[in-house]
Amino acid sequence: MRRSDEFPLDPDVAASLAAVDATLRGDLVDPEHAELAELTVLLAADRPRIDPEFATKLDGQVRRRFATSRHRPSRERGRLWALSGVATAAAAGLATLLVLEGSSSAPVSRTGAEPVPLTAGPAKSATVSSARTPAPSNAAPSNAAPSNAVPPAGSVVPQPPLGGHRIVQTAQLALTTPPAQMEDVAQQVFTVVGADGGSVTSSTVTATGGPDSYAQFELSVPSANLADAMMRLSRLRGASVASRTDTTQDVNGQYLSLSRRVGEAQALRTALLRQLANATTAAQISSLNAQIRDADATISRYQAAVNSLNHQIDYTPISLTIDSGRVPVAGRGFTLGRASHDAGRVLTVAAGVALIALAALVPVALLVVLCWWIFVALRRRRREQALDLA
Amino acid sequence: MIEVSRPGAEDSSWERFEALYISARDDVYAYVASLLRDRASAEDVTALAFERAYRRRRTFDRRRGEERAWLFGIARNAALDELRRRKRLAAFGDADLEAERTEEVADVALARTMVRGAVAALSARERELIALKFYAGLSNAELARVLGVSESNAGTILHRTIDKLRKACNATV
Repeated sequence: MRRSDEFPLDPDVAASLAAVDATLRGDLVDPEHAELAELTVLLAADRPRIDPEFATKLDGQVRRRFATSRHRPSRERGRLWALSGVATAAAAGLATLLVLEGSSSAPVSRTGAEPVPLTAGPAKSATVSSARTPAPSNAAPSNAAPSNAVPPAGSVVPQPPLGGHRIVQTAQLALTTPPAQMEDVAQQVFTVVGADGGSVTSSTVTATGGPDSYAQFELSVPSANLADAMMRLSRLRGASVASRTDTTQDVNGQYLSLSRRVGEAQALRTALLRQLANATTAAQISSLNAQIRDADATISRYQAAVNSLNHQIDYTPISLTIDSGRVPVAGRGFTLGRASHDAGRVLTVAAGVALIALAALVPVALLVVLCWWIFVALRRRRREQALDLA
Repeated sequence: MIEVSRPGAEDSSWERFEALYISARDDVYAYVASLLRDRASAEDVTALAFERAYRRRRTFDRRRGEERAWLFGIARNAALDELRRRKRLAAFGDADLEAERTEEVADVALARTMVRGAVAALSARERELIALKFYAGLSNAELARVLGVSESNAGTILHRTIDKLRKACNATV
């Protein structure tokens, strides 16, 4: 490539320079350049001579390939390699963490979120906070203690042992289904609830065919059929379980207390009726009638509470939501579909990590290049200044 | 001439370096000594320049110039770094190197003294040009590569310096 400051030499200048080169080579030159040749010879002969002792020493260093030099670039290279290794390991660790984090936050990878065959396997939680806590199937249920430990979708819901105890249960179930199947899945909910003797307290179904399709149900099913209803709801065609929560509350104490108060109020009423039968004055009769009315009201109030509690015990409310989303690959274990899905995720996450790293490194690299350019320019300038000052 | 041991089937970069060292050792020393005018420093810098060249021998890109120009570029940087470090440059004709001159015939000695005086009167950049051309024996293309200018520019500067030198010698006569 031709330099910008390149220009053709003046013929006289070129001839003079050629004469200098010829003289340095030991060739004869034109007589008109005799003076220049003589100057060239004088200059060339005056060059500093290398000291033989130093020449021998330098030859030895070269022969040993500067092995005894104070400079140790190989060690510096080793440090560089070590630093590179640490940086690579850190990047790999970060990538692994991100990949694992990405996998753990993916709903499709949760075992509780997958449509699982009907098996009575170990109970697993569908939420991260209560991950894989076995249900205390043989322990006595505690008051207001959400079990929050649900079996895989489709398996039998753990029933609290009755043994004379009254238990109130609630359940929440979240399903996902492709937007196009929202209506069909919602219809299946009605069918299942009807088959189990339950009812739909309220429902909202928005089937747009798009990702905003959504359905919400408030159901009530006989507690005796709760396990069957939950199993069938978890296995709706075209839907998969995203999360599931069951809550139990022992209301035995509350039930007995209310029953006792009903009994006490009834006993009081009986006693008041007896006193009324023996009453002789109008004032006594009036007072006893008033107390009997109060007792009747009390009995009615407590009986209503008992009836309400009985209804809560006999019927379990189920809160069901259906979101539109991608249905995960069915089945467990290794399949080509799952493998390609996982591989795709790993590649996506890896590409994301690489992109983030690139976004962080590019400005840093540009800054380093700029600093290096400034350093080189300053160094060159100082070197030239050193020559000028000489 | 040195005899360099050949460790088996060593890479060709070592052989190229070896050949370059053999052909340029004295020239590099002469150039560096002319710049520094101090034998001890010249020897240190010469050794350092060859070591740096050896370490970087695999980075040499033939498309960017000849090896000789590349080597003198390294030597120049090392010498200028030494100048920066010392913050001084001994006057041309330093007694340290002057002692090397041998006894000569009177008229030759007179002419040489005259030339030395003229060279000493040159600026540092002009003296460097003289050293690269007449002491190190670089071609104009190599000289241009070392100084970072075009070949025609290097030739013009060189011719101007030689002309200045000639006039200074004639004026002395």
